[in-house]
Amino acid sequence: MKNRINFRYIFLAFLSVFVFASSFQNLNAQNAKKNKVRLKAQYIKIMGGESYIDITATSKIEKQNVRVSGIEITVYNELEEENIELGKVTTNMKGENKFIFKNFNSILADSSNIYNILISFKGNETFKKAKKRISFKNADITAKMVVKDSINYIRARLTDPNANSPIIEQDLTIQVQRLFGPLILGDEFNTTDDDGTIIVPIEEGIPGVDGNLTFEVVLNDSDDYGTIKALVTAPIGTPIIDESTFDDRKMWSPRNKTPIFLLIFPNLLIVGIWGLIVYLIINLFKISKSKN
Amino acid sequence: MKIQDKLLNDLAPRKFDKLGVIWISILVLIIIAGIIAYIDQIIKGQVVTNMRDYALWGIYISNFVFFVATSFVGSVIVAVLRLTHNEWRTPLVRVAEIITLASIVMAGITITLDMARPDRLLNLFIYARIQSPITWDVIIIPTTIAISFLLLYFPLLPDLAILKDYFKDKKPRLSRWYGRFSLNWKGSDTQKAIQTKSIKIIAIMIVPIGLMLQTIDAWLFSTTYRIGWDSTNMGAYFIAGAVVAGVAALIVVLYVVRRTRKLEEYITDLHFDKLGKLLALACLIYLYFNMNEYIVPTYTPTKGEELHLTTLLTGSYSYLFWLVTIGGLVLPVILLLFKKGRKPLPMFFIGLVVVIGSWWKRYIIITPTLLHPFLPIQGVPESWHHYFPSLHEWLITVATLAMALLIITILVRYLPVVPIQRTADEQEKLNNDIKH
Repeated sequence: MKNRINFRYIFLAFLSVFVFASSFQNLNAQNAKKNKVRLKAQYIKIMGGESYIDITATSKIEKQNVRVSGIEITVYNELEEENIELGKVTTNMKGENKFIFKNFNSILADSSNIYNILISFKGNETFKKAKKRISFKNADITAKMVVKDSINYIRARLTDPNANSPIIEQDLTIQVQRLFGPLILGDEFNTTDDDGTIIVPIEEGIPGVDGNLTFEVVLNDSDDYGTIKALVTAPIGTPIIDESTFDDRKMWSPRNKTPIFLLIFPNLLIVGIWGLIVYLIINLFKISKSKN
Repeated sequence: MKIQDKLLNDLAPRKFDKLGVIWISILVLIIIAGIIAYIDQIIKGQVVTNMRDYALWGIYISNFVFFVATSFVGSVIVAVLRLTHNEWRTPLVRVAEIITLASIVMAGITITLDMARPDRLLNLFIYARIQSPITWDVIIIPTTIAISFLLLYFPLLPDLAILKDYFKDKKPRLSRWYGRFSLNWKGSDTQKAIQTKSIKIIAIMIVPIGLMLQTIDAWLFSTTYRIGWDSTNMGAYFIAGAVVAGVAALIVVLYVVRRTRKLEEYITDLHFDKLGKLLALACLIYLYFNMNEYIVPTYTPTKGEELHLTTLLTGSYSYLFWLVTIGGLVLPVILLLFKKGRKPLPMFFIGLVVVIGSWWKRYIIITPTLLHPFLPIQGVPESWHHYFPSLHEWLITVATLAMALLIITILVRYLPVVPIQRTADEQEKLNNDIKH
């Protein structure tokens, strides 16, 4: 009987430890300081393709910048009188996401033809609320391949579609798409002239699958227009020849494709050495059978 | 005839004394413990070892490399000294041949212990890819086992015939066994001609085969693009290291055999003196290759190589590295330069230290490299960053060493450790020369 009572006390003591511990944890959680979230946003427009906002959420936790994943961000079209909600996105494991404008024409600009977008995070148990505003004007890049005196050029024009006028003195970059990242061609920046145009020569001999090259004309992270990108595909590259050694006899091939020299010499050695070993074993028999 | 009687009296196999029985019992116990550990490894898999994704070659492989190196003594002592007409080799050759056979047989067994699925051993032959150094190894080891056996067996034939007659009345059953293995040896001219020719072929063959074995063993590492292994120095480095390990092992076994069998008259101080000089030369050559292996990369190291060298020279493996280099190579050379250092007892201790140093040398060739891959070790438990053998690995490895010693002990027990016929012929020739 005494033992049973003791057991009850012990059980209660254990239980109370857990209950108190979890209560303290809650209290601590309530008192814990929330971290600030820093939102980054960049407007990107692909000509003939989608327009979107690249969103990144970071936070400084214990003196280290960390990406904030799994937070819901709301995107608004900010107008003078009201904010129109355009949609919501949740950041991925890298703290990033892309908000794609389903219909760019539905977004309204202010009286100066400037689009104002508000990106907002409401806050949660761990992070404080945060906001980020970006503004941009609409711009278009038209690009095409031209040939002058047997030299290939990319000609590109930057225009304001609302005013139907060229945009001058903006720096455009011409680059060609490669496997891991684009390769810049010519100068890094090519400034648009009075007609909003640039013309950049394309060097010969750039390799491409079936000779096709995809060039990018980019207005990169402009304060006024964001990032605008136009793509031009042209069959002016040097076709990549498949140099696979898959069917050849190489050192790294499977056993049925062993190089011939490697079949001949080691096998000659093996046969030679084992031939002598067999000869020596025969000699043992000869010794055994010798009558003299 | 008198000469032969004395030789038989001195050299014919004898029963073990009490110490011998204790020695055999200890070896058998160690082997049983190793077999139990191995069975457990087969049942549970290699999870019982401390080998993981990075340290995937542990002491099984370093032990294998040690056995391969030690087996080189047959090529050096028997073949090279024979081809260079060094007559003083006679009392040493049998022990050298025995060590060679025991080592290479154990090398073959040890490599299968490292296989998680030894039942698939045959696949190494069936699906052999001749481009792979592993395949070369798979071919050269049985070849060396065959040639090492013949190297021991051919010169034994006359001695086995002598022992057949010697034990005819004393131990008829043992005599019958000697008779069977002597292959009806009567010492006829035809038999002698075939035997002499065969031994000459083997003596020539075993040199390139020994060199091939050591080189292939080295190429297993140097053809792998890994820091510390990817070196053109490796083949010569391994050959020099093999001479060191082999000669040192021979000195140790010779000393024990001489002492237990009281063969001071046959295995003299002169033999130890000459072996001491040979070992000193081998250590110096090996030191030279060590300098090539470690000093040159310190001048132009890549980032990975720098880390690897730092670990060896001043880091976590530095104690072992310097112990092996100074204790196992530099100090023996200094001691062997003195005549007193080349006396049997000091030579025994020097040989023992060099053998132990040679074993650990293989460990530091293999393990630190595996723990320094080109890409940093990430996403694995902390314990996988380091390697030290588990109890299973130690038990199995020590058992293989015990097995090698048991093979040597049994062969020393049943075979004449100094060739009887050859010694008799040499003494007869010497007596005739004195008379004339």
